[in-house]
Amino acid sequence: MYGLLQAFAKWLEGTPWGVGVRTSLWAYPFTQLVHFTGLSIWLGTNLALDLRLLGLGKHRETAAQLRDDLFAWNWIGFCIVVLGGLLLFSSTATTFLVNVAFRWKLGLFVPVALLWHIFVQWKARDWGATQDAPAIAKFSGLAEILLWICVITAAVEIPNH
Amino acid sequence: MWEAMEQMGWVKTLSSTGWMYASVSVIHYLTMFWFIGSMAVVDLRVMGVAARKRNLTELSAQIFPWAWTGMILALISGFFMFLTDAGDWAPDPVFHVKLGMIVLSIVFAIWVQRGAPKWGALAEIPTSAKVIAAIALLLWILTILSASEIPAMEGLG
Repeated sequence: MYGLLQAFAKWLEGTPWGVGVRTSLWAYPFTQLVHFTGLSIWLGTNLALDLRLLGLGKHRETAAQLRDDLFAWNWIGFCIVVLGGLLLFSSTATTFLVNVAFRWKLGLFVPVALLWHIFVQWKARDWGATQDAPAIAKFSGLAEILLWICVITAAVEIPNH
Repeated sequence: MWEAMEQMGWVKTLSSTGWMYASVSVIHYLTMFWFIGSMAVVDLRVMGVAARKRNLTELSAQIFPWAWTGMILALISGFFMFLTDAGDWAPDPVFHVKLGMIVLSIVFAIWVQRGAPKWGALAEIPTSAKVIAAIALLLWILTILSASEIPAMEGLG
């Protein structure tokens, strides 16, 4: 399995986009821009729903309404994140693959946070039907925020490992 | 003056303690994504491509208080990061571009927030409002770009 991943990483580094992001002076910051713009839309819309479930902030909309408002751009943001992230990964894929912080990020925190987000988003229609969400909804919203903090912490640690 | 700031006791502690500097970075990234993303949704709503079923006034009133909270936290954490290497950051021209972008972006964000209740009350959102929102969104993207260019061009950060 790991051998397969290594082969995949090696192949990515040799692709035109992998070589491009690695060797061109301007491509790396622009690729990072794509990743960060996607992250802003993705995490901004995730946190809005989580905070509304927690009952923090204004109560102009219910969590269920906010979920529907943000749904489309939430997943557009996610696609932009993946596109930028894949390009950044391709530039030095074999180096990323052996990085401990990267392994925590992609191997554990991102999948767990992503699944948890899908669960929260799915349940928010019921939980958020009224102004005040039940305790389980508040716990779930808080847990999602903490999971994304874990993801960002692992990401910040990548250059240190 | 900038070097003197770097040498303050607590700033030195912050820059030399791994977990402290990492925590401030995490706060900076988290709050930055949070506030730019939420403001972007309001801009996209004004432009007519997001949450079309929701009244603009309602969406804006729901989102903007969160966005400003996030922005204040991003500015404070960013200032702390700046202090740890103030002597190098302060004269950096790309960093000046980033600061200029932030100021412009804030002006447009205020413009959108103040305009939202008026535009939301109209039968159709005016084209001028859509242009303002599009510029507001573009300015945040340029802010991120200028921030990404600093390590690429200047080796800072």
